[in-house]
Amino acid sequence: MSVGGRSQRFRRQPVRFLHKRAGNDSATGTAHGHIHQSSALRAPLIRLDHVTKTFKGDVVALSDVCADIEKGEFVFLVGPSGSGKSTLLHLVHKEDEPDRGTIHVAGKEIGAMTRWRVPYLRRNIGNVYQDFKLLPNKTVYENVAFALEVIGRPKQVIRTQVPAILDLVGLAEKLHRYPHELSGGEQQRVSVARAFVNRPLILLADEPTGNLDPQTSVGIMRLLDRINRTGTTVVMATHDETIVNSMRRRVIELSGGRVIRDQHRGEYGG
Amino acid sequence: MALNAEYIARETFLNLRRNVLMTVASVLTVAVTLVLVGTTLLMRQAVGNATQQWKGGIEFAVWLQPDASEAEAEAVAAELTSSPLVDEVQFVSQQEAFEEFKDLFRGSPDMVAAVNPEVLPPSYRVVPADPDDTEGIDALGQRFHGRPGIYEVTFAKDAADAIISRTGVIQGVVLVAALGLTFSATVLILNTIALAIHARRREIEVMKLVGATNWFIRVPLMLEGMVQGMAGAVVASGGVWALRNWVSSLVENNDFWGQFSVSDGGLTLTVVMVLAMGAGIGTLGSAIAVRRSLNV
Repeated sequence: MSVGGRSQRFRRQPVRFLHKRAGNDSATGTAHGHIHQSSALRAPLIRLDHVTKTFKGDVVALSDVCADIEKGEFVFLVGPSGSGKSTLLHLVHKEDEPDRGTIHVAGKEIGAMTRWRVPYLRRNIGNVYQDFKLLPNKTVYENVAFALEVIGRPKQVIRTQVPAILDLVGLAEKLHRYPHELSGGEQQRVSVARAFVNRPLILLADEPTGNLDPQTSVGIMRLLDRINRTGTTVVMATHDETIVNSMRRRVIELSGGRVIRDQHRGEYGG
Repeated sequence: MALNAEYIARETFLNLRRNVLMTVASVLTVAVTLVLVGTTLLMRQAVGNATQQWKGGIEFAVWLQPDASEAEAEAVAAELTSSPLVDEVQFVSQQEAFEEFKDLFRGSPDMVAAVNPEVLPPSYRVVPADPDDTEGIDALGQRFHGRPGIYEVTFAKDAADAIISRTGVIQGVVLVAALGLTFSATVLILNTIALAIHARRREIEVMKLVGATNWFIRVPLMLEGMVQGMAGAVVASGGVWALRNWVSSLVENNDFWGQFSVSDGGLTLTVVMVLAMGAGIGTLGSAIAVRRSLNV
């Protein structure tokens, strides 16, 4: 196991958290409760079933996409700009609706979900973006704390979780800096901390290294890898060939909205 | 998940401070609006008080001298009840007249103290069979003029005409102005909240991303609108209170206008309505703003 002692500490929590939600769905409950154990009953964590999405009637973003992503997987979404990678991430996060097809997350069909349930879905999905989306008038600490505060987590939890997660991402010394005082890589670490502080089942990353130099990118990938090893499923859209080739994880390649390749331990270009 | 009270209080206050000028504009508009609304309400009460003797279809009253003899009173009663034009005659004794007087001058204890039942005239209030037969009613009433034991005869038509001619136009103008201003106050609050939403669009975006519930995003913004509405209403309540006291002091010694004075109870009712309306305008304005610019 390559996870350090510190990460071990984080690992206990997702498992406990998942047990709590498992009660009404025995199939996913089994999958969630024993994250490293495969089971015949287990449903995939994310299931895209013949998903089609078009914009303004004729721009095809996704066309008949099918994919199952298991608990604990690390998946790269690759393909040229406009191939539908971001759209796919948006649909899983329910920022948009597919025109046809269904999407299941943790055993639930999210298309049938009522509007007021959507925030609770999103609490199980962390998001990392190319442009970080940090709040410029809040410090590193406040940015991460804000994410917990607005979902109503108690103060004591915030006071212990936020320093711990910032320690994990290597920013323990910069709690009270503002985003503009940090390098791009550090800002992205803050946004990863914010995405992960609530122990989501899934982390969606849309070109997280798109604004970073190669060396900094490697650091961010190490971080995402560590998070993945705690049991969190990571789905990352990227253009970065070097990263995909060096990680050797599952690669789903999109072109013109279609899946043209889905390969385990894949490379950037099939 | 319960909404965190401290978070909401802090956000509401911060927003109000961030848009000080817009907030002041909204509060003042609400205040002016509600002063007008309050004035309309007070005027309606005043007119109600002034026409109190004429409720229930009474068209004229025959007032006896306070020292009229029983025979004189009975003669009037007999003549009224035997007339085919009359549907109902109500006798108001000196004691009842005193109660009416006390009610009318609730706001002026000095006046109530200066009067006792013996000096007030008892009266017969007459409900005619056909209220549209103004000529018949007039002729019947006039018959009692100048008879022994009779103080005077008053007609609802005269009182109502006088009251309506003197207050109707004012009431209409104030009501129209109040309606127009209610609309602008709502729009101003809407605009303030829309600005607050724009200023906080990054925060709101992040809140949506990390799964804050819609109510968690909405509540501080709606409270902000409500606080603005309430603040305006508090200012307006002070205005309405001062206005009523000023008008009361002007008219208390005037025979005609004195009838219009509004009691403390009536004033309290008006203030409560003004406060409720302020909260309503504020919440409505912010609800529309949140709906239109938040998409949650």
